Amino acid sequence: MENLQELFIEAGTLMLAGMVFVFAFLGLLIVFINVVLVRLAKKYPDAIVESRATNKRNNKKQEGNAGVSPAVVAAISSAVTQYRQQHSTKK
Amino acid sequence: MESLKLLWMSTGLANFELGQVIMMLVGCGLLYLAIARNFEPLLLVPMGFGAILTNIPVAGFSEVGGLLHYIYYAGIDTGIFPLLIFMGVGAMTDFGALIANPKTLLLGAAAQFGIFATLFGAIALNAIPGFEFSLKDASAIAIIGGADGPTAIFLASKLAPELLGAIAVAAYSYMALVPIIQPPIMRALTTEDERKIEMAQLRPVTRVEKIIFPLAVLLMTIFFLPAATPLVGMFCLGNLMRECGVVDRLSATAQNELINIVTIFLGLGVGSKLSADKFLNVETLGILALGAVAFSIGTASGVLMAKLMNRLSKEKINPLIGAAGVSAVPMAARVANKVGLEANPHNFLLMHAMGPNVAGVLGSAVAAGILLALVG
Repeated sequence: MENLQELFIEAGTLMLAGMVFVFAFLGLLIVFINVVLVRLAKKYPDAIVESRATNKRNNKKQEGNAGVSPAVVAAISSAVTQYRQQHSTKK
Repeated sequence: MESLKLLWMSTGLANFELGQVIMMLVGCGLLYLAIARNFEPLLLVPMGFGAILTNIPVAGFSEVGGLLHYIYYAGIDTGIFPLLIFMGVGAMTDFGALIANPKTLLLGAAAQFGIFATLFGAIALNAIPGFEFSLKDASAIAIIGGADGPTAIFLASKLAPELLGAIAVAAYSYMALVPIIQPPIMRALTTEDERKIEMAQLRPVTRVEKIIFPLAVLLMTIFFLPAATPLVGMFCLGNLMRECGVVDRLSATAQNELINIVTIFLGLGVGSKLSADKFLNVETLGILALGAVAFSIGTASGVLMAKLMNRLSKEKINPLIGAAGVSAVPMAARVANKVGLEANPHNFLLMHAMGPNVAGVLGSAVAAGILLALVG
């Protein structure tokens, strides 16, 4: 029974120490997020995300202007010249 | 005649013991829960099958030279499998909701009270004849309250390997039962108005924040609780691989192929511990009961903490998300969302509940580290 009492005291100490530590650790993490990460977010406000998004948009635009359009333009123009040639020979 | 007798003696039928038959039925029960009821099937299928294999007479799966023996000693006794799983979990975890609303870390911390209260309960069971839990045993049992399978297996393999089978079965069973255990407790502790509270939209979180966060968590663990670095370190590695954006292949492997392979072996290894002599005793019943208590206390303390925070702070939070503080990702967050929707059909709490949910994973890893440092 005395042994059980000792175990109880040990378990109680462990409970107290454990909860205090868990709260302290995660509390410190809250402070870290609020102090460091929030400042970092302000200093680099979505810099990477935005630049990536704009890059993507730019890429798409570039693709639209430089990649796809010229090919389409070339295809259309060659088709037109072909048609004109055929048309002229028929005449 | 002699050879016929020899042949008969080499059959399973001649060598079956009652305990083995019962444990095979337990294995079949696990398979039933997994296949018919969809309870944590990824782990319960290999675990249930492992339980059947390990109880086959004559074959000696779990004796020296047997497959399950080596799987257990290579992966679980050394702690490698649960740690690899933890890396995969890290690679699957998005800390965005937590970083956007860091207060929810307190909910994850409060829910860990389930662990430490159960430690007390396990010691109290010693007053009943038939139970003899040492402080190490009690700590390993208590971690069930963390609702985190790999953490429970890791700690049990270090502190009380002989109880590992029962602890793993209890941990995964209750994780599967989260949608049944939690809602009544959540409803009992909150009013209709509290369940209706709508929360402000979360701020967007930048990539830099998400990259720095796991590194900061690791650094803090190195400073204050090195005993938890195996768990937290692997978790943070997985998370960094996910967020840094330059090793997508590694991240994809950690959260798919690797975690799947390890889950098969982890299940088989845990199943090998489900032998009659270690499982069929009154202590297993005690562990199953304590596991349910641990989950309930963890849920209740998360909800109560959220209510306390509402008293002290102007910015209201829905107390239902406190229940997600017991990790069980993402089941507990889904449960919070579902109960919230019942009260207010326009209130989607899922993203808000993911904050305390992943905080719970960190909290239970920290709690495991404390138990390892103080008891191990």
